[in-house]
Amino acid sequence: MEGGGGEELAVGCVLSLRTTLGDEIEGQIVAYDRPSNILVIQEGSSNAGARRNIRLLKANYIQDFTYLKKAEDPLDLNKCYIDLAGLQAREEASLRQAEIEAERIGVGVTSEAQSLFDALSKTLPVRWDKTVIVVMNEVRVSIPYLPENVTGGTPAANDRVKKVLEFERKRLQARGPGQF
Amino acid sequence: MQRMNLQQGRPFANGYSSRRVDTVVGTRTESKTQVRKSASPNFVSTNGTRVGRPTSPSRDRLIYVLTCLVGHHVEVHVKNGSIISGIFHATNADGDFEIVLKMAQVIKDGSVRERKSDHDSIKKPQPMVIPARELVQVLAKDVSLSDEFTPGQSCEKRKDLMIDSVISHSHHLETERELAPWMPGEDDPECPELENIFDGTFDRKWDQFETNEALFGVKSTFNEELYTTKLERGPQMRDLEKIALKIAREIEGEETQDLHLAEERGFSYHDDFNLDEESRYSAVRREVNGSGLRENENSDMEAYGSGIIAGSLGLATSGSCSDSLSKKNGNEAQASCNETQASSTSSSVVEEACLYTLADKGLGLSSVDVSSELKSDCIARSSSLEDEIRLDDNQIKDQGGKSERMAIQDSQTSDDVNTSIKSEEVSISAPLYDPSSSGQGNIITESSDSPVRGKLPAASESVDPPIRQGSSTSSSEYAHAESNRPFLSPSTSCGSLSSEKSTLNPNAKEFKLNPNAKSFTPSSSVRLHAAIPDGSFYQASNVNAVQHMHGLPMGVGVGPSFSHQPVFYNPQAAQIQSPQAYINPNGPVYGQQMIVGQHPQFYYVQSYPPEMPHKGRKF
Repeated sequence: MEGGGGEELAVGCVLSLRTTLGDEIEGQIVAYDRPSNILVIQEGSSNAGARRNIRLLKANYIQDFTYLKKAEDPLDLNKCYIDLAGLQAREEASLRQAEIEAERIGVGVTSEAQSLFDALSKTLPVRWDKTVIVVMNEVRVSIPYLPENVTGGTPAANDRVKKVLEFERKRLQARGPGQF
Repeated sequence: MQRMNLQQGRPFANGYSSRRVDTVVGTRTESKTQVRKSASPNFVSTNGTRVGRPTSPSRDRLIYVLTCLVGHHVEVHVKNGSIISGIFHATNADGDFEIVLKMAQVIKDGSVRERKSDHDSIKKPQPMVIPARELVQVLAKDVSLSDEFTPGQSCEKRKDLMIDSVISHSHHLETERELAPWMPGEDDPECPELENIFDGTFDRKWDQFETNEALFGVKSTFNEELYTTKLERGPQMRDLEKIALKIAREIEGEETQDLHLAEERGFSYHDDFNLDEESRYSAVRREVNGSGLRENENSDMEAYGSGIIAGSLGLATSGSCSDSLSKKNGNEAQASCNETQASSTSSSVVEEACLYTLADKGLGLSSVDVSSELKSDCIARSSSLEDEIRLDDNQIKDQGGKSERMAIQDSQTSDDVNTSIKSEEVSISAPLYDPSSSGQGNIITESSDSPVRGKLPAASESVDPPIRQGSSTSSSEYAHAESNRPFLSPSTSCGSLSSEKSTLNPNAKEFKLNPNAKSFTPSSSVRLHAAIPDGSFYQASNVNAVQHMHGLPMGVGVGPSFSHQPVFYNPQAAQIQSPQAYINPNGPVYGQQMIVGQHPQFYYVQSYPPEMPHKGRKF
């Protein structure tokens, strides 16, 4: 799409467009930067708690668009404040959270194994040790994560892990093989 | 600057924008900076290294939006269809906006179209850079473009540490709306007016019990008398009702020291107006005992406390004396009684209090039933108290001591017998008397022997018999309900306030004078005083004595004898009314009409508690 049509890409316009990748987007233009050809679109209904989905779309991937209506500028320039400290804090928090979640994902394990891990983690403290699921720091479940592979820990803990494992396996199988 | 470097700590966008913002705004206010469209020309001029940068309002906006995305979880769509998810870290705002993500992962790999099998492995998240040429779009969900610095929102991102107020606050802000009071649109005729529903309650012809029975067949078994005093309905009902209403009005109009009562009755608490809400309504109330007697620390007295005395003495039966009295009571109540030796008046007030409370005790318990033998002197005096209070209001004008009482005595309508007696008492007790409302003054002049050491021990004896008679007459008069005076007011108020357990017999029945009663001639054998050893019982020798008791009202002369040991009666003589004559205060009380034949041959008498005061008649 060319960069022409200035009035269609004015700030505040509500468009409905389709990308070359097949995405359909409907939203309001927040900004359009011609040199970089990036269009910022704000999705979602207006005044929905001031929380919208934001898309930064390279305009050259717009296949076609439809001009819906003209609305006012979504950005109130008097209210545009940036809290840098807050942003940094948010980033740190997000990173922390992501790391925590990343810990839960085993590296080089199958998705089935990951599902088992996730299921176990609902009720038991589990962590990955390479490809081994370590439950409560005692019980180890290794590939192929069958009840026979449960080793270690007190007999009670061992049995418990076995039970949970069997149950989860059954559940996963019941859900269907292609649902991972 | 153009090439991104992963080791660079400061993201480009942040560094860029912060610098830019610095120049734009000039001064940095804490961490809030404002990005303005008009800032761009400043930027060009102040920062030399940035010259030549393309600046435009739209670029500013883009940069602003990107800055808002820092720390946000985003998805980056790339040219080959893959989707990479991660935390937005930085962008190359100077250049062509490469995207730097941290903890990024390829969610959807566009290069391989078919579905992966189970054995796909998931890679560990790592920082990723997406070159601008690959970039198709960046998608961020739930971004707030304005008001970034509200604490709730900034804290909301931190999912691991959230405090309650933050959680509740965020909802709070969004759901606030302007509240307006409800006004009915057009008057709905269906809605009953709430104010009018209960008007004219007594005029309503609707009986809920009838309705219930008609509708549901539910029969009501409600019997009001199960729950409250049985009302004597009859020709005297109106009078009794009037008396009761008067008493009620008096009680409610009493001045009281109790904060809550005062508030209920509408009196402003005359002292501390600087009581805060806590002291008024919620703090623990400790009774200030201003009525400690200097002469006689009677526990009975202390139990009542100053408030009661003040309240009882503050009876506003006539307005003339209330002011002075209330003042005096105020002083009395608040000052410790131990310090009141100075003035005789105050001491007399104390005396009043002593006597009065005693009288009240009696009255409170035996308001209806007055029995002579089994009641203490207090009751007898209290009945005379009733007499006194029965005086009309308009008869009490004088504030003087004796003269007032004399006037009262003379104008007393109830009892001639009492008049002389009362005047006698009055004269005796003159130094004690304090100007107060009439009814109380008279009563208080009486002195009793056992519970209160009055100043008139000598006079007590002489006073007693007349009082007894007075009590009998007064009680009989009461039965006729002649008087209109609320004679029970002080006692009822005290009775309601007191928590003291009375030693009086609540079960004693009303004394009804039996004119045909034989006079009792005590014989020595019947005088079962302490000389008689325990466990002894009387055989036939007592028969005649018992027979003598035939027809006598209860317990005469036999009363004191039972204070120490059980006594067996052997009423071999027939037609002995002794069982009904003797009333065991600790046991059931039978009416005088009890049939003789019902009693057993042996009448076992329980022993009294030794401390029981003499309740019998003294002849």
